[in-house]
Amino acid sequence: MIKKIAVLLLLVLLTGLLGGCWSRKEITEVAIVLGTGVDWTADGRIRLTVQIALPTAFAAEGGGGKEPFSWVISAEGKTIAEAERYLAMKSPRDIYWGHSVILVIGEEMAKKGTGMVTNFFQRDRQPREIMWFMVTKGEAKDILETEMDLVKTSAQAAGFLTRMKTGYSVQLREYAEMLASKGVQPVVTAVEVEEGGVTPQPGQEGKPPRHKHVALAGVGVFKEDKLVGWLDATETRGLLWLKGEAEKGVIIVPSPGEPDKEVSIKIRRGSTKVTPEYDGENLRFDVMIKMEGDMVEQQSREDLAKPEKIKALENAIAEEITKRATVALEKAQIEYGVDIFGFGDAFHRKYKKDWQELKDRWDEEFARAEVSIAVEARVREIGLLTKRASTPEK
Amino acid sequence: MLMVSMVLPTAILTVPAITVNYARQDAWLSVVLATLTGLLIAWLVVSLSLRFPGKNLFEFTEEILGKVPGKIIGLLYIWWFLHTNALIMDEFGGFLCTAIMPDTPPVIFFLVGAIVAGYAVRNGLEVLSRYNQLFLPLILGLLLVVFLLAAKDMKAARLLPVFDAGLIPIVKGVAVPASWLGEIVIFTMIIPYLNKPKEALRVAALATLFTGSFLMVTILVALAVFGPNLTGHWIFPTFNVIRVISIANFLERLESVLIVVWVFGGFAKLGVFYYAAVLGSAQWLGLKDYRPLVAPVGLILVGLAFLCPNIVNLLHFIASGWPPYAIIVFEAGLPLLLLVVAMARGKRGKAVD
Amino acid sequence: MGNFIKPLKAAFPGRGKGKGRGKPPAASQPEDAGLSSASWKDSVLSSNLEANLKQIKAILSKCSDVIYREFVFAQNEQLRLALIYTDGMSDKAQISEQIMRALALEVPMVVPGQEITKARALEFIKQRGLCVHQINETGKLQDVIHAILSGDTVLQVDGHATAIINGARGWEARKIAEAESEPTVRGSRESFTETLRVNTSLIRRRIKSPNLKIEALRLGEVTDTDVVIAYIEGIVNDKLVAEVKSRLERIKVDAILESGYIEELIEDNPWSPFPTVNHSEKPDRVAAMLLEGRIALLVDGTPFALTVPNLFVEYLQASEDYYERFLFTSTVRLIRFLAMIISLTLPSLYIAVVSFHYELLPTTLLLSFAAQHEAVPFPVFISVLIMEITFEILREAGIRLPRPIGQAVSIVGALVMGEAAIRAGLVAPSTVIVVAMTGIASFTFSYSVSIAFRLLRFALMVLTAALGLFGLISGLAIIVIHLCTLRSFGVPFLSPIAPTTGVDLKDVFFRAPWWAMFSRPRLIARQDQKRQEQGLKPTPPETRSKK
Repeated sequence: MIKKIAVLLLLVLLTGLLGGCWSRKEITEVAIVLGTGVDWTADGRIRLTVQIALPTAFAAEGGGGKEPFSWVISAEGKTIAEAERYLAMKSPRDIYWGHSVILVIGEEMAKKGTGMVTNFFQRDRQPREIMWFMVTKGEAKDILETEMDLVKTSAQAAGFLTRMKTGYSVQLREYAEMLASKGVQPVVTAVEVEEGGVTPQPGQEGKPPRHKHVALAGVGVFKEDKLVGWLDATETRGLLWLKGEAEKGVIIVPSPGEPDKEVSIKIRRGSTKVTPEYDGENLRFDVMIKMEGDMVEQQSREDLAKPEKIKALENAIAEEITKRATVALEKAQIEYGVDIFGFGDAFHRKYKKDWQELKDRWDEEFARAEVSIAVEARVREIGLLTKRASTPEK
Repeated sequence: MLMVSMVLPTAILTVPAITVNYARQDAWLSVVLATLTGLLIAWLVVSLSLRFPGKNLFEFTEEILGKVPGKIIGLLYIWWFLHTNALIMDEFGGFLCTAIMPDTPPVIFFLVGAIVAGYAVRNGLEVLSRYNQLFLPLILGLLLVVFLLAAKDMKAARLLPVFDAGLIPIVKGVAVPASWLGEIVIFTMIIPYLNKPKEALRVAALATLFTGSFLMVTILVALAVFGPNLTGHWIFPTFNVIRVISIANFLERLESVLIVVWVFGGFAKLGVFYYAAVLGSAQWLGLKDYRPLVAPVGLILVGLAFLCPNIVNLLHFIASGWPPYAIIVFEAGLPLLLLVVAMARGKRGKAVD
Repeated sequence: MGNFIKPLKAAFPGRGKGKGRGKPPAASQPEDAGLSSASWKDSVLSSNLEANLKQIKAILSKCSDVIYREFVFAQNEQLRLALIYTDGMSDKAQISEQIMRALALEVPMVVPGQEITKARALEFIKQRGLCVHQINETGKLQDVIHAILSGDTVLQVDGHATAIINGARGWEARKIAEAESEPTVRGSRESFTETLRVNTSLIRRRIKSPNLKIEALRLGEVTDTDVVIAYIEGIVNDKLVAEVKSRLERIKVDAILESGYIEELIEDNPWSPFPTVNHSEKPDRVAAMLLEGRIALLVDGTPFALTVPNLFVEYLQASEDYYERFLFTSTVRLIRFLAMIISLTLPSLYIAVVSFHYELLPTTLLLSFAAQHEAVPFPVFISVLIMEITFEILREAGIRLPRPIGQAVSIVGALVMGEAAIRAGLVAPSTVIVVAMTGIASFTFSYSVSIAFRLLRFALMVLTAALGLFGLISGLAIIVIHLCTLRSFGVPFLSPIAPTTGVDLKDVFFRAPWWAMFSRPRLIARQDQKRQEQGLKPTPPETRSKK
C-alpha cells in the first residue's frame, strides 16, 4: 500500500518536473546585453541604456553587411531595477546581463554618486564582477549608441580597449574594492566618443562625419563614490606609475646629444614601491619606481649605442617619469585632495595603530603629505640597429 | 574499505558558506586555531569510540549511562543529525538557488538532494564510501586547479597587515569554522564499521587537518583576490573568486566547476549525515534493518529544511546561533561527558575481532 | 572439416559387461517404452536389436534425417549390427571407412577363421573391430538419443544391451574468420566460431597449462546445448567457480540459443543498464581474462563467450592495448575515457548551456548559437531529442540492412539528413554537430556498455531539460551511485577505482608497461596474485667492457 502511494507521489512529482521548468529560458527568448549605461536625467531619474546584440548579425555564416549589430534601448526609473522593468516594456525578450562587457556611468550620474548604480550590478547574479567599469563626460547613452568599424559593437570595442591596459582599467570588483577601503579612492577609466573616419566627400561638407568611435580618455577621479574630476591621458600615465601598474606605453625623451630630437622608449616592465614614514606628526612617502624598457625609435642622428649615452638616456627617462608622476600627484593632492594611489593602504600595512586614528581623515592627511619620488630606469634592448640607419652617413 | 575520504566532505562542502564569515585578513588564522580545536574533538571522539569497539554512538551511550539516559541522549543526537542535515540542505539549496537557478523553488533542490542521498544511503555505507572515493579526488583536484588559476588575481599585499585588529577578532572568528570541523563527531557512527579500527585516530586526525587546511586555503584565496573589505561583502566569496578568473581572455566563466564540486560534494555530505540519522533512528527504535527508515527520514529532512525561511536567517543562525549549540553540546560537551563517565565507571566494551 | 570429438561425461554408467547381459529392467518393455516422452528418458536398451531399433525409431519418428544402417558382422553372419546417425552431422567418410568397412569387411583379415560368438562380439568390436578414434559405451536410451542428435554415430550389436557411441562428427561450419564486432589493428584476428570444440581448442592453444580446466555441461530443456566452463585452477577463486556452477544449475529453460540467454539468467542485477557479465568474440581476449583469474563460459552455437566477473574498467580496455607499447596505448585509453564521458553527457551539457546557463559560454559563441536557433521552431531540448532519435534509428537501420544498402544508408543518413534537417529549419547546425560527436564518441569503446550509455543519455537529457546543470549532475550522481552498488559475482563493479586497490590502478586509465604489471587484479585472482617477477624492466645490455 505504501509503495503504491509512493509511486503515485513520484509520478506527480515527475510530471511537475517536466511540465514547468522554471529556470529554463530558451536562447531565443533572451536579449543578450553587451553593454550597459547609466545616466542621471535632468528630472532626477535614472536612465538605463542597454546595447543588445542582434544574434543574426553575429551568425557564423552570413550575417554582417549593412545590418546593424546591436540595438540600443533606454528606459527611466527611480532605481535601476525599476528602469529595468520599464525596459522590459520595450524589449520583447528578457534582459540577460551575463554577457555585458562594460558598465558606463554618465558624468551627471557619477557626480551624484555611483553607489546607486553598482549595488544592483553586484547583487544580481547575472552581471559579472569583471565587467569593465567606466565613466564618460557627457552621457553614457552616447557611448552605447556609437557604431564601430573594426569591432561589431561599441561595447565590445570598449571592452577590448580596456583589456589592453593602455590606460587604467578597472573592473567592477576592483572598483568595489577601492570603494570599500579607506586607504584608496577609486579611479575609473574614462571613455568618450571621438569623431573620425572617412573625410566627407566634396559636396557633403556640413554633414556630420559618418564615423564616430569610442576611445579611452584618461580616468575619472572619485571621492568615495562621487566623481570629482578628471585626469587626462598623460596624467593617467603618472597615476599608473604611482600605483605600480604601468605595463605598456611609450616614453619620449630628448636625445642626450641633441635635445631637440626625440627618442622613444617602450616600457617593458615597471614596479613601484611606496614606503610611508610617519613620526606622529609628519607624513612622508618615499616612492621608488623601477622601470625597464627598450629603445624603439630615434629621431636624432647620434650614435646611441654607447654606454655613456645609454646612461644619459636612462637619466632622461627617469626624469620624464618623475615629471609625469609629479603631475598626477599634484593634481590628486592639490586639486582634488583624494588619495587615489593607495598610499593609505601602504600606510595601513606599516603603521597599524596609527592608521586607526588617521583613517577617517585620511584624504586631508594625504593632501598634506610630502612625497618624494625616485626613479631607476634601465634600457635593455635597442632593437636591431646600432645607429640610426635611415639618413646618409655624414 | 572505508577511507579517509568519508569524513572529509563533512566540512569541505560547507567551506564556501563558511567564508561567509565576516572575514578580515586574519580569518585564515582563525581557521588554523579552529583546526586545533577540531583535532581535540577528534581525539576525544575517537578515544570514546575505541573504548567500545564495534559499537557506534548510540550503542555505547546506552552502555555508559544506562538505558533511559542513553535513550534520551540518543534522541538528542538523532535530532542533531537531522537538524544539521537540514541545515546542509538549506545551504545546498540556498547556494544553487541564489547563484545558479533563481527561478527554481528550493524545494526541488531539497527533494533531489534527499532522493540522491537517500539512494546512496539505502545501499549501505560501502556505497557511500565508494562514491566518495570516486568524487573526492575529483572535487579537490578541481578546486585546486581553480585556485591556481586565480593566482593571477591574487595579491599578497591584500593579506597584510597581519593581526590588524589584534587577537580578539581572530578568536571570535574561530567559532564558526570550529563548529564545522567538529562535525567529526559523526565519525562515531562509522568507526565501528571500519576494517582497521586501530587506525581510526590517525584517520580522524588526518581528516581534520586536511579539511582545516583546505578551508584555510580557500579563505586565503578569497582574501587575496578581493581584499579584506570586499570579501565580507559577498555571500559566497568562493563563487565570486571563480567568476573572476580569466586566463588569456579565453578561460573564463568557470563557475560551472564550482557548481559541479558543490553538488557532488553536497550529495556526499548529505549522505553521511543522512546515514547517521537513519542508523541512529533504527537503533533507537530497536529495528534490525535501517533500510525502511530511509524514506521517512528523507521526508522529515525535506520538511525540516523548510524551517529556514530565507538565506539571511540561515546565515545569521550559522554565524551566531549554531556554534555554541553545536560545539558545546554535541561535539564536545556530550562526548566529553560520556568519556568521563565511562572512565569513571570503568566501562569498556569487549574487544571485537 | 575435421573430426570433432566430444568427451563424454564420465558419469555414463554401463561400462563393462555387468549390465550387458540379461534382460533389461521391467520398465523398458519394447512396446510401451519410448512412446511417452517422460518415461523413455530413464529406460535402457534391450539386448534385442530389433526391439531397440523399434524403440529408437518410435522416439525419432518423422526425423527423416536420421539414418538407420543395418549390416552383418563380417566374421559371423548371424550377428547383426545396426548403425544409426544423423545425416548432415556425421562424417560420412569415417562411417563408411572406419566403421562399416572395418566391421563388415575387414575383420576376417584380422582374425581369420576365428569364431566370434555373439556374446563375445561386443568386446571384440570394441577392442579391435572399430577403427574409430573415440568410442564410449552406454546402456541408457537417453544417452543414445542425445548422441544421435549430436552427430555421433551409434552402433548397436544384437544381443547386447549397450550401444557403442562413436565420435564421428562432421558438419559444415563457418571457418575461423576475423572478428567482426571487435576489429583490431595488431594482434590475433581469429575469432570464435559457432562450434564449441573449435572454440575450446582456440583457447587451449593459447594456454598450454594443465591447470586450464574445461568443464562441460548441458543446458536447455529442449535445445540441450553444450556449455563449457573454462578457468585456470590455482589462479581463480574457487568460490567463484562454485558460484558460477550453482547459478548455471539453476537454469531451467527451454532453450539456450546464444550466450546472451545465459547471461541474462545468471547476472547479478537484471534491472541495471550495465551488464555484469562481459562477452567477447576473440580467443586472445578470453585467454587474457582467464589468466587474470576470471571464468569463461563458452556456448555451442555462438561465437560469443561470456566472461565473469565483469568490471567496469574492462570497457575501457581493448585487447590491443596490451600489444602496442604503453605510452601510446595509455594515451589512447585516456581518449577513450574522454569519449565515454562525452557520449554520455554531451547532449545534456549542450541543453544545459543553451537553455539555462548562458553565462558559461563565451559571448561570441553564445551569439552564434542564438543566431542559429533563431531559425528553429523547437526548444533546444526537443531539437536535440529529435536528432538523437533520428541518429538511433539510422544506426539500427545501418545494422539491419543487407550489406550493399547498409553502407549507403549510413553515409546518406549522416550527411544528407543532417544537411537537409538544417536547411529545413528543423535543427540548428550546432545541434547536429553535438549529436554527431556523441555518436562517434560512443563507438570508441566496447559496444555492450555503449548501449547502456545510449539509454542513460536520454534519461540525462530529460533531467537536464528539467533542471539544468543541477539536473545533469544529479543524474550523474545517481548513475555513479548505482555503479557503486553493483557487484559482479561478488566483486565490486567499480574496482579498482573504488574501492581503490592501489596496485591495480596501473591498468585503468593508462596501461603500465608489461614489466611493471607484476600482480594480478587483487580482488579477482585471490589465490595467486603474482603474475611475474619484479624487476623485469628491460635495460640495454651492459656496455661492452674493454677486452
